[in-house]
Amino acid sequence: MAKKKFLLGFSPDIVNEPIVYRLVKDYDLKINILRAEVREMGGRLLMEVEGKAFNIKEAARYLGEAKVDVQELITYVEKNEDRCTHCGMCISICPVEALTMDRPSWKVRYDSEKCIACGMCIDACPPGAMKFRI
Amino acid sequence: MKRTVAEINQRIKDGDVVVMTAEEVISFVQSEGVERAAKEVDVVTTGTFGAMCSSGAFLNFGHSEPPIRMQKVTLNDVPAYGGIAAVDAYIGATELKLDDHSGYGGAHVIEELISGKAVRLKATSDGTDCYPRKDIDTFVSLNTINQAYLFNPRNVYQNYAAGTNSSDRTLYTYMGKLLSNYGNITYSSAGQLSPLLNDPSLRTIGIGTRIFLGGGVGYVAWEGTQFKTNVETQFGAPMGGARNLATIGDMRGMSPEFVRALSLPGYGVSLALGIGIPIPILDEDVLRATAISDEQLFAPLIDYSVQSRNRKPLKHFSYAELRSGRVELFGKEVRTSSLSSYLKARQIAEALSERIESGEFLLTEPVASLPADRSMGTLEVRSKEEAV
Repeated sequence: MAKKKFLLGFSPDIVNEPIVYRLVKDYDLKINILRAEVREMGGRLLMEVEGKAFNIKEAARYLGEAKVDVQELITYVEKNEDRCTHCGMCISICPVEALTMDRPSWKVRYDSEKCIACGMCIDACPPGAMKFRI
Repeated sequence: MKRTVAEINQRIKDGDVVVMTAEEVISFVQSEGVERAAKEVDVVTTGTFGAMCSSGAFLNFGHSEPPIRMQKVTLNDVPAYGGIAAVDAYIGATELKLDDHSGYGGAHVIEELISGKAVRLKATSDGTDCYPRKDIDTFVSLNTINQAYLFNPRNVYQNYAAGTNSSDRTLYTYMGKLLSNYGNITYSSAGQLSPLLNDPSLRTIGIGTRIFLGGGVGYVAWEGTQFKTNVETQFGAPMGGARNLATIGDMRGMSPEFVRALSLPGYGVSLALGIGIPIPILDEDVLRATAISDEQLFAPLIDYSVQSRNRKPLKHFSYAELRSGRVELFGKEVRTSSLSSYLKARQIAEALSERIESGEFLLTEPVASLPADRSMGTLEVRSKEEAV
């Protein structure tokens, strides 16, 4: 089983396509929607998919054919190491504990694998070390 | 055992001085005992790195041709105070950029100057016979400015209340983002490394004490604003705000590693500053105070959703509990965050130790002591008659 995160972009003319249903039904993927928004220019969907590597690849191909803009995301939030002062303000904010305090070094560790791109840490970081990569 | 500052300085010059950080001295005293440890250790170094809002810089730009008496001054569009002599200005850390909500302010200007960057100076004036020029628009940096020194009215708080939020919405405060329904707790102290918790009654620290300020050299200038001594203590250390210091120091020699602009959305801009103070071990009592550990130091917890100066602490937590990352509050586990960097506090105490050991940093005796008995007044709406 493989696990990947994708950012999907929809133009207004394809918002009626039941894309998530197709991904579950046709490609047997387990879907976790992390972020969804609809604006005048279309919609954006950030999701984590889990399933057979081949199915994920085929699903991405289907999405491309359905004119969905597909981007695989490796890191969503980036930590600027030069800017980080290792205070730890972000630690109690992060809902998935992607940010932790390493002891005894007292350095803030960021595990991008755990990050769900909620963005809670971004305005919580006083020196401005956390930024969306999108 | 008695020791003087002069004797310590002689040992520094002779290369024999024994220096420990306020973290190292804890286990040393535990293993050796106070008596033996006091004979051994000459100096204990402390450090802290946190938001110190009440900070700012005096700058003298030099005279233009023809000269100007600057009345309205901005640096990168952040207003600076120009109500002093012709080309002097004071830029406060929390001052915000004009007509801008991006979270840029005086602290960023200060950090950029210390990083060696140029900042845009704009000034206007009515013009006088002796200062005819009415405006100027130019760039300045630490290379072009005559004097540039931080003068901070309230720094290095002895201790500080931790914050939480009982309301049903997230609060954006100077204690950071406080999640609803006691969703988290934030605190801000270096605890066992914190300068004024290691000399709680300020026996060795006073006006004129040489300190590590922002990576460079600074001095204690005065009692800090809101300095107070009437705070409950535990193991000799205050369990709340209490004392603080006004500090001064040349921006040249400071480093952006220890002077960092902060933006706290919903609150504004602040300056994170690194300060370290050496404590001369004059006798066993001074040493005993420096050996205090996070288990023995306490912070009150304040509910920031109560919008009153009369907030009562919900509870007290030790810094050992707060630093563990999780505490129990009303039967629920709550995660904690520090606003001050323990890593940097440790780096500052270590850097100060090295500077003392290398002979580069000598200790000072205070020129005058800070108040032993001080309370803090409040601001009321009063008539002219009631105010006198």
